[in-house]
Amino acid sequence: MTDSHHSRRALLRYGAYGAGAAALAGTAASWDRLTGADIPGRDDGSLVVATLGSAFSPAGIRTLVAGFRALHPGIKVRVNAVQAVDWSDFFAKILTQIAAGTAPDLVYVATEGVQLFARHLGVPLDRWVRRDAAELREYFADVHPSLVESMMYEGSLYQLPIEFNAADMYLNTRVLHQAGADLPADDWTRDDFTALLRRMKKANDSHFTPYFWTNRLWGGVVPWLFANGTNLLAESRAPGGGWLWDCFYPAAQRRGRGGGFRWTTPQATNGRVEEAYDYLAGLIQEGLCTRPEGGNGQNLIGVFSTGRVGVTPAGGFWAGGLHLAGMRDDAFDVRYFPRWRTRRHQFGAAGYALLRTSKKQDAAWEFIKYSARLDTLTELFSTNQTTPARRSMLAAGRYRETGPAHWRIFYDTLDAFPDTGPVPAPPQVAEVTQVLLKHTGTALASPRSVGPALRRMQGDLEKAMERDV
Amino acid sequence: MTDTRIPAVRPRAATPPVTAPRRSARGRGARLLAALFLAPTVTGIVVFTVVPIIGSVVLSLFHWDVIDPPGFAGAANYREVFTDSTVLVSFRNTLVFMVFAVAAQLLVALSLALTLNGRMPGWLRSVFRSAFFFPLVLSAASISVVMKYLFNQDFGVVNWLIGLVGIAPVPWLTSELGAMATVIIVYVWQQFGFSFLLFVGGLNNIPREIHEAAALDGATGLRKHLALTLPLLSPTLLVASVVGIINALQVFEQPYVLTDGGPGDSTRTVVMVIYEKAFEQLRFGEASAVGVLLFVLIMAVTAVQFRLSRRFVHYQ
Repeated sequence: MTDSHHSRRALLRYGAYGAGAAALAGTAASWDRLTGADIPGRDDGSLVVATLGSAFSPAGIRTLVAGFRALHPGIKVRVNAVQAVDWSDFFAKILTQIAAGTAPDLVYVATEGVQLFARHLGVPLDRWVRRDAAELREYFADVHPSLVESMMYEGSLYQLPIEFNAADMYLNTRVLHQAGADLPADDWTRDDFTALLRRMKKANDSHFTPYFWTNRLWGGVVPWLFANGTNLLAESRAPGGGWLWDCFYPAAQRRGRGGGFRWTTPQATNGRVEEAYDYLAGLIQEGLCTRPEGGNGQNLIGVFSTGRVGVTPAGGFWAGGLHLAGMRDDAFDVRYFPRWRTRRHQFGAAGYALLRTSKKQDAAWEFIKYSARLDTLTELFSTNQTTPARRSMLAAGRYRETGPAHWRIFYDTLDAFPDTGPVPAPPQVAEVTQVLLKHTGTALASPRSVGPALRRMQGDLEKAMERDV
Repeated sequence: MTDTRIPAVRPRAATPPVTAPRRSARGRGARLLAALFLAPTVTGIVVFTVVPIIGSVVLSLFHWDVIDPPGFAGAANYREVFTDSTVLVSFRNTLVFMVFAVAAQLLVALSLALTLNGRMPGWLRSVFRSAFFFPLVLSAASISVVMKYLFNQDFGVVNWLIGLVGIAPVPWLTSELGAMATVIIVYVWQQFGFSFLLFVGGLNNIPREIHEAAALDGATGLRKHLALTLPLLSPTLLVASVVGIINALQVFEQPYVLTDGGPGDSTRTVVMVIYEKAFEQLRFGEASAVGVLLFVLIMAVTAVQFRLSRRFVHYQ
């Protein structure tokens, strides 16, 4: 028994405090969780569309909303342009909104997040696509099946692709002329590429680096892995998808298609992966290539346009960027990625994903359809900041002002090399990307560090892929 | 079995009756006024600090991916983070960063404060004070973006400048040692202004007569600073180091923007891991567990500092 100096009155008082606290806690616990949507005026009944802030211009967004409103006056739309430095940052901010209880109805999602969203948050579009098949036939006829397949997950379609970018090779024509070299041939090889870098290096001073690349999932090491006939994760196709291919694509185009990509067993220690890393490490040692640095490659436009870099991998999005940086249409050009063992290229695509938390799913589907229309995309993608998913939009007039001369390559990459595929982005994409970037940094520190770093990458990838996300 | 009873020191009957002072209406009014003035601050601390801390501790016991309802995990998140090599490396990196960054920050700030405390025109002193403080008001992310350009190995101005005197390009951001050093340099450049202002204030509070007396006794230069200035400045040093260490243990923007934690994990810090686990990997429970461990670390380091301060800090 505890001896206490507390008086009975004090005990009663403490008891009353305790009871009061318990009552308060009970009352608080019995309340529904307050979310951002409970803020008065926050939920005005609009269909909320989240886009990557930098993906569309404000004028483009205004046009997008006005056009939809004219078509569907009964559906209010609010575009939430989320500012983010890259897709990973964008997804993080969308998830924050979901955690806050203010989930949008539609989210603009790139390849990097297609399977993550499909698995956790997305609604398959199959039933609406089947229902509106007649209306969509024209869309699918205009869009390459590889892009559509990259938006499928386990047999279902989750997004209609509206833009994509394949990693082709941009060349600064002034640097080419300085080196006394011509634009490489369409079927140039990895050895041709290396020889060109050496010529460029020889013709310039010590502050010049022939090849620049950014350490990221799209356009980093992955295009070299694809060119060497391998991938970071074993790639296969999910069964299913026949409902879509049979309905919209001719036999020649649907051959070999499935229900979306599956990326499973890590293969960082595969001989061809190591070979690709050895090649890049060799370029770095020879001073032909920059050391891999993380980020979104923002400083690249500056160094490329001023001739401090001769070659870099980029997609159609760069034509507009270089034009804005003051490069003339003939100051740069584009070629396919060089052949190694294969000519397989990598790409990333994007479109709107419908979230299962949405209470306006039919209205959201109308917006998805609207966003994929030819007139909508023509208005939206007027400045060559990306490659439109519709083949018919790539015409000479579009590139007359910005260049490059060989603009056809942007879409022909898909047609000329039908095995071209999306960057590996399983639902565990965040961890896979982090593992790839961090070990790529150490692997390319010196040729001797390639093997040990890839073995660590393999171990970390295995752990990441075992995790049920 | 331990007897937990509290022995009665004195029989209750022997205790002189204590009569509580009668609470006057004026006293009650003063207390009410004090409570009113304190209420906004206390409310802010409770809502934005206490509740989130409790929330983090609770969340660290759950698996939660934002999308599905949380599931109780017990200590599983803590087991996971204690076996996660990235988490352990991030704690090591953060401690290394803290030691070098805080030491450099205090050294730079103190040296500059002592220099400015010497003979110098008033207007020039003001210019320097403003210049040293200015980086602190800038956004750390913006500074880091600019510094990333400056420290780029191939195209950065820093390597161009050192190249003028024949030094080969330094892999500032692409080697393990270089990346950590660059993050520390950028952090110290931005942060030392705060310590600098504290030291300037502290130096101004040291009575001039003490310096004059020391000068009469023949103490000059470094000897004077070590024997006189530093002991008298020790309370300010304590504040500057406590604030510096707490801030350094929470470093995020500089390594996130400059190196993204690389190369490898060489500049990945604890707060970066919290961010990545929560918002990139959707493991909010594990992120909270790391957050709780960081909280404990900060409390422990601060407690040690205050303990040590009893021996090394001299109040006038």
